[in-house]
Amino acid sequence: MNNTEHQTGKASTLQVAKAVFWSFLGIRKKDDLDRDAKMIKPHQVVIGGIIGGVIFVLSILTLVKVVTS
Amino acid sequence: MTQSVTNINVTMLKKLLIFSAIMFGFGYALVPMYEKFCEVTGINNLLQPNAVDKNIKVDMSRTIAIELDANVRGMPWQFKPLQSSVKIHPGESIEVMYEIRNMSDQEFTGQAIPSYSPRFLEKYLKKFECFCFTKQVLKPGEVRQMPVKFVIDPEIPVDVNTVTISYTFFALQPGK
Amino acid sequence: MAVVQDVHGHHDHHPSGIMRWVMTTNHKDIGTLYLWFSFAMFLVGGFLAMGIRAELFMPGIQILEPELFNSFTTLHGLIMVFGAIMPAFVGLANWQVPMMIGAPDMAFARMNNWSFWLLPVAGMLLISSFFVPGGAAAGGWTFYPPLSAQGGLGVDMMIFAIHILGASSIMGAINIITTILNMRAPGMTLMKMPMFVWTWLITAYLLVLVMPVLAGTVTMLLTDRHFGTSFFNAAGGGDPVLFQHIFWFFGHPEVYIMILPAFGIVSEIVPTFSRKPLFGYASMVYATASIAILSCIVWAHHMFTAGMPTVGQLFFMYATMLIAVPTGVKVFNWTATMWRGSLTFETPMLFAIGFIFLFVIGGFSGVICAIVPIDIQVQDTYYVIAHFHYVLVSGALFAIFGGVYYWLPKWCGRMYDVKLANMHFWLSMIFFNVAFFVQHFLGLAGMPRRIPDYSLQFADFNMISSIGAFGFGLSQILFLYIVIKCIRSGEKAADKPWEGANTLEWTLPSPAPYHSFETPPVIK
Ligand code: HEM
Ligand SMILES: [Cu+2]
Repeated sequence: MNNTEHQTGKASTLQVAKAVFWSFLGIRKKDDLDRDAKMIKPHQVVIGGIIGGVIFVLSILTLVKVVTS
Repeated sequence: MTQSVTNINVTMLKKLLIFSAIMFGFGYALVPMYEKFCEVTGINNLLQPNAVDKNIKVDMSRTIAIELDANVRGMPWQFKPLQSSVKIHPGESIEVMYEIRNMSDQEFTGQAIPSYSPRFLEKYLKKFECFCFTKQVLKPGEVRQMPVKFVIDPEIPVDVNTVTISYTFFALQPGK
Repeated sequence: MAVVQDVHGHHDHHPSGIMRWVMTTNHKDIGTLYLWFSFAMFLVGGFLAMGIRAELFMPGIQILEPELFNSFTTLHGLIMVFGAIMPAFVGLANWQVPMMIGAPDMAFARMNNWSFWLLPVAGMLLISSFFVPGGAAAGGWTFYPPLSAQGGLGVDMMIFAIHILGASSIMGAINIITTILNMRAPGMTLMKMPMFVWTWLITAYLLVLVMPVLAGTVTMLLTDRHFGTSFFNAAGGGDPVLFQHIFWFFGHPEVYIMILPAFGIVSEIVPTFSRKPLFGYASMVYATASIAILSCIVWAHHMFTAGMPTVGQLFFMYATMLIAVPTGVKVFNWTATMWRGSLTFETPMLFAIGFIFLFVIGGFSGVICAIVPIDIQVQDTYYVIAHFHYVLVSGALFAIFGGVYYWLPKWCGRMYDVKLANMHFWLSMIFFNVAFFVQHFLGLAGMPRRIPDYSLQFADFNMISSIGAFGFGLSQILFLYIVIKCIRSGEKAADKPWEGANTLEWTLPSPAPYHSFETPPVIK
């Protein structure tokens, strides 16, 4: 009745960043996913996701600025 | 029948309830955020003075007729422009006068909201003084004359010859 | 009525008759209640739709006065969204989530009972608002002010109903999240969860994220109407456009709340009848999460004509078009799952394939609506109506039908009449397209939505559309008949009627016993 799948290990920032990037595209290899699921903690995903979201918004904004200038 | 609810579930329930409450508050927080956003980006600044470029050029070759209009909603006020229309050259600054009169024996507070026709006039109309920038309080029977000072940007499309500026006064405390 | 066969001899002594249903805290009973409620609302909403299409059958005003017509469209939308589609998904979650993760019940059984019983109250409020002075709300299901700031008692009843529905959804979502996170059988890691469970987990998070915002919006509307605030009231310094922003901040995630569980159902059905595991399971999880996050930053694509600077229009246009990428990944994965599979076309599979096919059409018309210069033409026309009925009816609703046919044997231990069920699919498929495909043309030709009368050049397509709609409506009576027949006298179903299925619920006997997985199953 509980979840104990986060086992050993801590994910590097790069790994979180990669996981977030692929999740925005919506594609992920099974092996990578298994590693992500083991190593990355939920709060890392949330923080990574928020940062990823902000970067995403900013990059669209930049694109729009370039297009309209 | 009674499902024993484990502690870990109750903790989760509390967290999610708090989160929902925060999101409820967030809905309300969107209101000042929206206002701030519009103010910063200058999107919806009907009620703020415009910064005006001092060396704007007057385009003597064009004349634009401005029709002035005034309405009141929900208050015993009389509201009218002292001149129903004016003609100006784009780039020339001008002052027009409006008059409000409180016809009742009660004090009222009103706010004027401008509206323009054609709609894009908003972009070319630069107001540096307007009674709509503040609330107006009128004592029983009081009369007030109020100016609007503005220029029309010479960039305004050439096919525009006539525009309308309309103000509507709304009661700020309905029912009072 | 008893879809759930009672397995007696247990430690429980639940009341029988009507009280069993009123008091029940069993996830299967509550799932059943949700599904029947949702079907009842589907019929009410369908009745309103028939009224709308009857009025639009010919130009001119024949049966509905314009004001009543507006109430019909408004309540049709509200009842279908909040009364039919959403409760149906919650019902499916109640039945399936515990069984699919090997849990004995939902995490909060008592709260589960409350969240259901709030629904009929809200449903009655909405329906009875037709009979109060001034009639039901008539400002559209999106209830924009200033129309919703005016209006009479009917609008207040609608606001109250939305409060109740929101509370019910939030409680349901909290229950589902807690169940999925805390109650999984040992060994059922997150990445082994069936897709249906995954999509519901993400949907539930979206629900707790945006339902409270909707509650806030309607509260502001309520205080604007009665307590002198002016959030949206221009006269008091408020701004009606602000309402649109807050509403769609809720509204766009809401449309994904209505489609993600459908993705989940289709992701269960397609592998089963292709006899292959789901292609790209991991990608599917990621794509679902991605859609959920992105859906929170595209809301203003509903407001391209409400007045917005070019920068804003372009931002929301690009963001919206990018959201089609993870959606495309999903469609690709379903197709790849079927590729070289040994396919069979049982009713659930027919609905799933129908879903994929028609949802793609709806997705494409969505992308077209997202292109600002085009949307300025088609906003508030029948083109938008066509778009969202392709994603909601042939999307969400078809997936629900597919899910019901898929799990019905498990629920009641009996098989539905295959011939009739296939007929239900084909009738729905054909009539749906007759009703809605032509609406694309109507929209492009400029027919506005929410009008009781129209100019003559729209007459032919409207008549076709109405005929399709009547056919579609009648076909759903067949569905009711099929389900009742199945419960009453269907053939006995095997524990695992679909050979390709391999999620946990199929390890249980059919019908699923009243209490299942009281001792957690062992997962390979
Ligand atoms: C590929 C993904 C999608 C895109 C790009 C998209 C885009 C859009 C756009 C731009 C509009 C606004 C049209 C207008 O008002 O002029 C719209 C309306 C709408 N969409 Fe979508 N959409 C997509 C998927 C969906 C899905 C999956 C659903 C629901 C299950 C949905 C439901 C709706 C609804 C209900 C409306 C109309 C709201 C109203 O004004 O009443 N859409 N969509
Ligand atoms: Cu949307």
